[in-house]
Amino acid sequence: MNVRLGVGLVLGILALLALTEEGRAAGPLDNPGFAKVITCSACHGENGNSRTNMMPIIAGLDPAYFKKQIESYATGKRPSPEMEPYAKEIQFLGVDQIAAYFAAQKREPTPIRVTINPALPSTADAIAKGKVASAPCVICHGEKGAGDPARLIPGLAGQAPGYLAQQMLLFKQDTREPDDQLLAAKKAVMRAVPDSQFADLAAYYASLR
Amino acid sequence: MKPRQRAGAPMTRRRFLGAASVGLGLASGVAACASTKGDIAPKSGRRVVVIGAGWGGATAARYVRMADPSIEVVLLEPGREFVSCPFSNLVLSGLRTMDSLTRPYDRLRDRGIRIINEAATAIEPDTKRVRIGEGYLAYDRLVVAPGIDFLWEQIEGLPAARDTVLHAWKAGPQTVELARQIQSMADGGVFVLTVPPVAYRCPPGPYERVCQVAWYLKKNKPKSKLIVLDANPNIVSKTALFRTAWEAYPNIDYLASNKVIALDTTAKEVRTEFDRVKYDVLNLIPPQRAGAIAVQADLVGADKRWCEVDHVTYESVKHKEIHVIGDATIGLPVPKSGNVANAMGKAAALSIVSLLNGKPVPLMPPGNTCYSWVNDREAIAVVNAYKIENGKVVQIEQKLTPAQSVSVAQRAESWRLSIWSDMLS
Repeated sequence: MNVRLGVGLVLGILALLALTEEGRAAGPLDNPGFAKVITCSACHGENGNSRTNMMPIIAGLDPAYFKKQIESYATGKRPSPEMEPYAKEIQFLGVDQIAAYFAAQKREPTPIRVTINPALPSTADAIAKGKVASAPCVICHGEKGAGDPARLIPGLAGQAPGYLAQQMLLFKQDTREPDDQLLAAKKAVMRAVPDSQFADLAAYYASLR
Repeated sequence: MKPRQRAGAPMTRRRFLGAASVGLGLASGVAACASTKGDIAPKSGRRVVVIGAGWGGATAARYVRMADPSIEVVLLEPGREFVSCPFSNLVLSGLRTMDSLTRPYDRLRDRGIRIINEAATAIEPDTKRVRIGEGYLAYDRLVVAPGIDFLWEQIEGLPAARDTVLHAWKAGPQTVELARQIQSMADGGVFVLTVPPVAYRCPPGPYERVCQVAWYLKKNKPKSKLIVLDANPNIVSKTALFRTAWEAYPNIDYLASNKVIALDTTAKEVRTEFDRVKYDVLNLIPPQRAGAIAVQADLVGADKRWCEVDHVTYESVKHKEIHVIGDATIGLPVPKSGNVANAMGKAAALSIVSLLNGKPVPLMPPGNTCYSWVNDREAIAVVNAYKIENGKVVQIEQKLTPAQSVSVAQRAESWRLSIWSDMLS
């Protein structure tokens, strides 16, 4: 009995030591996703939190939405000379793990306050004008631009403004996923928005928190 | 890649390398360590030493610390600040300043990386030491990111003229001086640019430079012309896109398969296998090889020019526990670009952290995004994606932008800021 207890105690201590050792060694590489996304940070920033105007923030993206985009990029339905090759690299590395990795990252809103549209008035003017123009967007993207993952509708709040403005144009021109029925209503809305309003809408959504 | 001094002393870099090659890293004016004998910084735990803080080296140093802060990182870099080669062609056309390409190394210091502003003078693989003058640094793993150096002797007359004939192929004082020469050239003057045979740093770089200089001359010196003497049979990268862009520049005279073999600075003339060409301003980009330390440390292959490495870990095939990254490498189907050096820096760093912790090395294929500016507002791009099969990097796809556009240039601008942050923040 005493021997058993002693052995039990020793095993318990060893297990504790092993745990402590494990705890010390735990680092970013213990998440297998970390090594798979290292290419992405060159453009999309640390953990997908882009700090630039044109590169979208992908931290905290809904995994189903993320996977749909990778599929659309890889097949050319969402044409992008940058993302088509990288989407194929992501598929090689494992899209599920990469989607899960970015979904788990805390989203940090863009620090960019203005778009690079030279015709833009002051940022505050643009944001105010964008808010007025956003009425049709609210129907799907929500009052605060949070989106609806269940319907593959992405959040717009705090997204990089240059990226938002460019996507609005692509939707209006119907060059992004042309045959996608899920996007038909969105494109109808964008066709009614004059190009001159894209920068204001982008400034407004970039400013939302 | 790093300026050794500010404008006004454009040739310091070369004198420095000359001095370094005979074993004295003193010319940078920072003698703090070069005068130290013996062990410069005794090693207490596990240590990675990185030689060179350009696109590859800075990234590698940063990612080792990110992945395992218990590993000490020492970065050897004579330059006090990072200066980007990508975007430096825009300084020649007056669209950007050197300041816009320059970033401090302070954030890397904040991560606990020790930066020593010295050049490595030798590597001792057997004792796992890097020599710096009279002193040395011990390492567990070494990253060699030396960039490129030039094969002056391949062009007759160039070795004697290497202090006055500009390459401007390492962003820094030479970039400033070449911009000044272009601006001072008389209207009607001839600018000659020579392109070396592959492999060289930044395949589309010379052709982007042609666009930028041609744009500047067309606007400011309409009687001037630009003669391109290309050692290669055609434009090496983004060929069709550059051809289209050049339609806007009738001042370009492009001569393919016209390798420069001799130079006469008194007659202001370069000689190719076929022609003699007079110049007013010359930008001669010499043939290249890996940075001097890689050659001196026997990391180069039989060609004595480039370093062969493992495609997964970037460990040298010649010396164990030494990893070579960036433009100095050969054998992977990747261009010698800043983005590839950044990708190699990450993969090498995470390989090293895995190996030092006794963990399996994950597969981390590189990627390449490369933008070129064709005028003051439009750019083009090429993107390459890769996978690793049977231990070798294989290209999945190469994609080009369909045309030059403002939108691509806007993304180039964001890429610049983002990737510098990925290296230096």
